[in-house]
Amino acid sequence: MTLASSSTSDITYNFAYLDEQTKRMIRRALLKAIAVPGYQVPFGSREMPLARGWGTGGIQITAAIIGADDVLKVIDQGADDTTNAVSIRRFFARVAGVATTEATEEATIIQTRHRIPEAPLSADQVLVYQVPQPEPLRKLEPRETETRKMHGYGEYGLMQVRLYEDIARFGHIATTYDYPALVNGRYVMAPTPIPKFDNPKMDHMPALQLFGAGREKRIYAVPPYTTVRSLDFDDHPFQVQRWSRPCELCGAGDSYLDEVVIDDQGSRMFVCSDTDYCEGRRAEGHVGTQLEQSAGQRLTGGSS
Amino acid sequence: MNVIGDMVPALALSAPLLRVDGLTKFYGVQRGCEGISFELYPGEILGIVGESGSGKSTLLQCLAGLLAPTNGDIHFRNTQGAEVDVLALPEPERRRLMRSEWGIVHQNPRDGLRMGISAGGNVGERMMAVGKRHYGQIRATALDWLSRVEIEGGRIDHKPSQFSGGMQQRLQIARILVSEPRLVFMDEPTGGLDVSVQAKLLDLLRVLVRDLGISAIVVTHDLAVARLLTDRLMVMKDGHVVETGLTDQVLDDPHHPYTQLLTSAVLQA
Amino acid sequence: MANSSRHGECEAMRAMIEVQGLCKRFVLHNQGGAQLPVFEDVSFSVAAGEAVVLTGPSGTGKSTFLRLLYGNYKASSGAVRVRHEGQWIDIAGDAPRLVIEVRRRTLGYVSQFLRVIPRVTTLDIVKDTMISRGVDESEADQRARAILGRLNLPETLWKLAPATFSGGEQQRVNIARTFVDPAPILLLDEPTASLDQRNRDVVVDLIGEARHKGTAIVGIFHDDETRERIATRSFDLIPFKQAA
Repeated sequence: MTLASSSTSDITYNFAYLDEQTKRMIRRALLKAIAVPGYQVPFGSREMPLARGWGTGGIQITAAIIGADDVLKVIDQGADDTTNAVSIRRFFARVAGVATTEATEEATIIQTRHRIPEAPLSADQVLVYQVPQPEPLRKLEPRETETRKMHGYGEYGLMQVRLYEDIARFGHIATTYDYPALVNGRYVMAPTPIPKFDNPKMDHMPALQLFGAGREKRIYAVPPYTTVRSLDFDDHPFQVQRWSRPCELCGAGDSYLDEVVIDDQGSRMFVCSDTDYCEGRRAEGHVGTQLEQSAGQRLTGGSS
Repeated sequence: MNVIGDMVPALALSAPLLRVDGLTKFYGVQRGCEGISFELYPGEILGIVGESGSGKSTLLQCLAGLLAPTNGDIHFRNTQGAEVDVLALPEPERRRLMRSEWGIVHQNPRDGLRMGISAGGNVGERMMAVGKRHYGQIRATALDWLSRVEIEGGRIDHKPSQFSGGMQQRLQIARILVSEPRLVFMDEPTGGLDVSVQAKLLDLLRVLVRDLGISAIVVTHDLAVARLLTDRLMVMKDGHVVETGLTDQVLDDPHHPYTQLLTSAVLQA
Repeated sequence: MANSSRHGECEAMRAMIEVQGLCKRFVLHNQGGAQLPVFEDVSFSVAAGEAVVLTGPSGTGKSTFLRLLYGNYKASSGAVRVRHEGQWIDIAGDAPRLVIEVRRRTLGYVSQFLRVIPRVTTLDIVKDTMISRGVDESEADQRARAILGRLNLPETLWKLAPATFSGGEQQRVNIARTFVDPAPILLLDEPTASLDQRNRDVVVDLIGEARHKGTAIVGIFHDDETRERIATRSFDLIPFKQAA
């Protein structure tokens, strides 16, 4: 699946930029990660042509699994048209010559930072997460030797302490992103900086979920149809964010909304963070309040 | 004399909680402690005294699982009444033992507390570690323990860094005793505190230990602390135990030359 | 008041203490290993309900003898057996934990000095004896208040720690904590030394009451009057004094 290259690819690079040995090394790490859901597998993270912390972990995973006939979608903050998303998509178009898309359902591989698409994913799709900090216990326990033991022995009391601190301080669990979740009843993982709104989507997802942390040199995975349970207290159950109003562009009441400043006067509007989802709904004729009011103002959906 | 002969010579007391045989720790060729053997019974408080460098801290660290001994055995009778070979326990079980049935009070509270976490979180950690998942109950228990160590309930959400040294030490004690351990190790528990604060802490420790029926091993260089807190003493010098016995007997009628020197060198304890 | 034990001749005279061949000498290692012999081969017995007063001039080792009975000093040889809940425990030879258990329940000791944790209140000190024996809090409180009142310790002092009290007041706290729940055996080292006549009378009464309930008492009393009022028998250590 890796030897094909299209006419548009830059042939001075190996297919998908990484050499074949490196891809094999990463695939071995991926296989182990899939076999032990939620377990952080160390891997030899390579220098990539962009700074660490900009998604090098996700890019290396994508490079290791992508084939010539894959269709790649890249999102950043839910949007397909932000700088990081555009750059990564262009990168793979150039070094692998693969087709790219913004439509969730067309993609076979979706590389993401911050969001899981609103549209349900299917069993023939792979979701690749870019992870800044793979260790959910790090903020509480700085010693790597100790956190490894805590994972190894399933000592997750400390994780609960973090949630306790939230309730003590704010009256509720105030952690809104990177909300810790227990995978397959065994390992607690950091679901990257996705909002906790997306945590329930990870549970029993038909698509394979792969997580890469380039700077921290870790790979972990959630195989299809695996239990992902967000940690909570009996008397403070896990809850996702809710908004008092629907998306002002497409009227969706079930999506994650971004607050967007729209002029110099500080006016704001709430719109879907998933641009593809929002556009798709508008194409189907759904209309939000903002579009109703300013039908003539040529407001477009890609407003972030 | 027949009366005496007919009677059972020893009390039918329970079996030892901790059995230590020939515990030895060498740092390379340097001796930390050597050939230490003793038994600790339920409810007993054993003091280990000696000067700095006598090996008492090394011994405590070996006993508490913080340091791997070079030689020797440690057996602990767990809640099920079975005697377990502590040094042969798989690590996860030893860690479970250390955060449930055992506790360590460090001399410096910073070593025993999580400074970035509230007082309530510090006390609650051991409960959450054993699977408690009801916030309201965890908090209520934490509040109860704060009051038992005389920390105002209103300070439950404050971080230990905002506490005085004495309060930090009391918080450390609450954090450990909340799991109702059966064996507590204390390393100079009143070490860094003002004399006036020491007394209060000593009384608190003594009452808590008695009420909970805890056994304790207390390392101290302060003979007054040893007298007030412990039932029995082991006097250490150069890594060896030179004298053992009832605390007041060892302090008031010392037999070993070193113990005589030690007890005569301090102000009246 | 004969200097001989009559135990065994009478069923009522149940032996509580049996001392056999007790010998004590101090060795001062830091003073060239100097030996200080005190006495040797003391045999001695006390029955329930007896009050034995140790006699002899100072220096004969009366306090040392009392401390040996309590286990505060270590016997050089010999045995100090006490009857503890139906069993004989050798204070001089059995495990420290047994001695501690005996002290908790059977063996009380009043010295001339009050040794307590600083900042613990008088009331708590007196209650502590009972609480460690399993008496419940409210009963302990009631009894503690009663005996402190009886010993004429002003109520204003009860909630204070005794560190700042006068010698006589401290002594009464010491007596209160012991007599609030008298153990089956009491060792008294001049408990009335710094008391005025009125309080000395109270202490004599307390000792008498304990004795009538069957407590075996061994004591040192310097003034003759108190000694006469308390003793059922005296015991002289001079015959056992070692020729140094």
